[in-house]
Amino acid sequence: MKIWTSEHTFNHPWETVATAAWRKYPNPHNPAVIGTDVVERKVVDGVLHTQRLVSSIWYFPKWAQALIGSAKVCYAAEHSEVNPSARHMILKTINLTFCRHIAVNETLKYTPHPSDPSKTLLTQEAVVTVQGVPLTNYMEDILTNKISNNAGKGRQAMEYVITKINDEVKDLSRSTDEILLNTKKSFDDLTTSAKKSMDDISQKAKKSLDDIQHIKINGNFSEC
Amino acid sequence: MDSIGAACHELKKQYDDCFNLWFSEHFLRGRTNDSMCASLFKTYQDCVKKAMKEQNLDLDEVKKDLLGTSQEKKPPQKS
Repeated sequence: MKIWTSEHTFNHPWETVATAAWRKYPNPHNPAVIGTDVVERKVVDGVLHTQRLVSSIWYFPKWAQALIGSAKVCYAAEHSEVNPSARHMILKTINLTFCRHIAVNETLKYTPHPSDPSKTLLTQEAVVTVQGVPLTNYMEDILTNKISNNAGKGRQAMEYVITKINDEVKDLSRSTDEILLNTKKSFDDLTTSAKKSMDDISQKAKKSLDDIQHIKINGNFSEC
Repeated sequence: MDSIGAACHELKKQYDDCFNLWFSEHFLRGRTNDSMCASLFKTYQDCVKKAMKEQNLDLDEVKKDLLGTSQEKKPPQKS
């Protein structure tokens, strides 16, 4: 059995990171993950519980295929909990393929950084156990290295999604700005035409008044 | 992101879009009522479960409790 742990700080608030975690795949930084399917999801006491089936493609070297089979698509079960009031997200993954020989238990925790709550701390742990095949120690080392390597890709993948989300927010605020600008323009137009109408009205009113006075004067004259 | 069932891709996309919106705009803001995407979820679920059956994938295996049970493998105790 091999245990691998790692920590990483994201310079983004927990809410952004948690949102990005759901949108992590598909991701050019980790093309091995080809599918995620939600099989169960519910909110219990304000905590979101999700169970997903994760499909990924693994490319094994030829010699390893002889030992553990040549399956290409591997499946894993992922269970997660998101507690928004505690600002806590935990994901646990276990492989479903190769269960007789290989067990990979992976845990990811996203929490606010203890010294700076505007940042997010990712704590990652993987427990790798290989049994029933030759060279178990060697195989465990290979898998642990692979996980360590993938963890780097995973962080890049998260940063990629976060940038995408932030850009969307910017786009959204840009279009909001445009709407506001257009609304202001419409108001200005409206005010101008309203002012114009008012001027017209007052001008016409003045003219009518003049006319009336004129008529009155004329009338006065005719009365004479 | 793709689904294991090719027929479920579009249903999954519709549900995911709804869920992502619900998650950031409702759930993270303390509104935990999840009825917003319930009907999309149901349609997508029916599709996935059918696809899993066709591919001989055991739903119970995926659902086996991982969080907070003794079944998960614990790291060895430090002596």
